[in-house]
Amino acid sequence: MLLSVITQNPIVLPALIGAGIALFSGIVILLVFRFFRVEENPLQKTLEDVLPGVNCGGCGYSGCAAYAAALASGEEPKTTLCTAGGQDTATAVAEVMGVEAGTVVPLVANVFCQGTTENTTKRFDYTGTPHCASAAGLFAGPNSCTFGCLGFGDCVAVCEFNALYLENGIAHVNHNNCTACGKCVDACPKHLIHMIPKHELATNVTCSNHWPAKVVRKACKVGCIACGRCVRVCPVQAIKIEDNLAVIDQEICIHCGECVKVCPTNAIRQGLLEGPEAS
Amino acid sequence: MKEFLIILFSVILIDNLVLSRFLGVCSFLGLTKSLKNAMGMSVAVIFVMLIATAVTYPIYWSLLEPVNLGYLQTVVFILVIASVVQVLEAVIRKAFPPLYKAMGIYLPLITTNCAILGVMLINISEIYSFPAAMMSSLGAGVGYMLAMFLFTGVREKMEKADIPDFMEGLPSTLMAASIVSVSFMGFKGVIENLFG
Repeated sequence: MLLSVITQNPIVLPALIGAGIALFSGIVILLVFRFFRVEENPLQKTLEDVLPGVNCGGCGYSGCAAYAAALASGEEPKTTLCTAGGQDTATAVAEVMGVEAGTVVPLVANVFCQGTTENTTKRFDYTGTPHCASAAGLFAGPNSCTFGCLGFGDCVAVCEFNALYLENGIAHVNHNNCTACGKCVDACPKHLIHMIPKHELATNVTCSNHWPAKVVRKACKVGCIACGRCVRVCPVQAIKIEDNLAVIDQEICIHCGECVKVCPTNAIRQGLLEGPEAS
Repeated sequence: MKEFLIILFSVILIDNLVLSRFLGVCSFLGLTKSLKNAMGMSVAVIFVMLIATAVTYPIYWSLLEPVNLGYLQTVVFILVIASVVQVLEAVIRKAFPPLYKAMGIYLPLITTNCAILGVMLINISEIYSFPAAMMSSLGAGVGYMLAMFLFTGVREKMEKADIPDFMEGLPSTLMAASIVSVSFMGFKGVIENLFG
């Protein structure tokens, strides 16, 4: 009776076969998982939850999971590497790891160029693909200053936090959005972007030109001519001339602004930029 | 032997899984941004394709077909493929950690990949013998790999191209995919002349 129901009925047999296969696979999976279980470090999971999970790579690892793995396995002793999360994340990571929280010096990206379309000229019309990398490959780019920003926005393209924008032909950093992940630093073919300590009066020689004064003046209205007036006026000796370019040591700088006043070409800029959030 | 070669080459070139049958297009578009991803996914697909055929083929011909329940194949195959992939993942993770690292993240993606299910169903509907079915699966996997590699090359070129804003991203990618697909039509008739 029962057998005939199973074989005759058009629903019971398919249902049985389906359920049977499902049950069998379920048992096999269960057994395999039991036999082939891999011990995972529970610490890593906790760390992954604590980290921001944006996978920007600012810590130097390929992503948050990789950093968590390095921390959990003890390969990486530093708990303050996450630039995107800042102090909060560093404290939380240190808490999980059971070590004392270090202080994170927040960094921000800065474009060391003021060669806007008003301040520089073009040596030729560039009509190739609109990328800094390709423009830089053609006679070092069309700008009169071959050290300067090309303005095609390779840095803007790689930024995942809308922290960079183009204005008057050069890139600017909106410090409110910048997490110091460092992607733009790698993207700039002219190596114009560097990380500086985040201070609202951060003072920088916003120029990267190493040419002698006469040539710089022809190429750009606001280029550093290495005259050395800022070096003499600096009360803490934070400024040095290196290879025809004044450089301010950010560790020593007290943000007094004296150098800004004496700079004849306005190459020194004080303060961080805010700007339109790039859409 | 000749029969196997015909199956192998026709599945790779003429009935290419991605470019002619349009199966597995999501992973085709998603994972062709870099050669490394394409490589990992392709190897994982070939691997799972062979093992899934070895499992589903006997299930159909010795369990479903004798009781006239061929129509259950889709449901049962999905179930079986998903389970097989889960089991494989656990085994590889424990036994071959480097292999797991290389294709680990792509294995779960394959669980619901239509390319695998499609090939299983095609193998059944073509009434292949078991060795022929395995050969067809291998060919399908290699064809998938070929399509992935070719398209990765195309996309790497497109990255550098100056594409108008409204076409950037998916629209231009889809058009490129269709052109690559059309180019594979050129292989029609090649097999007949090679082996015929």
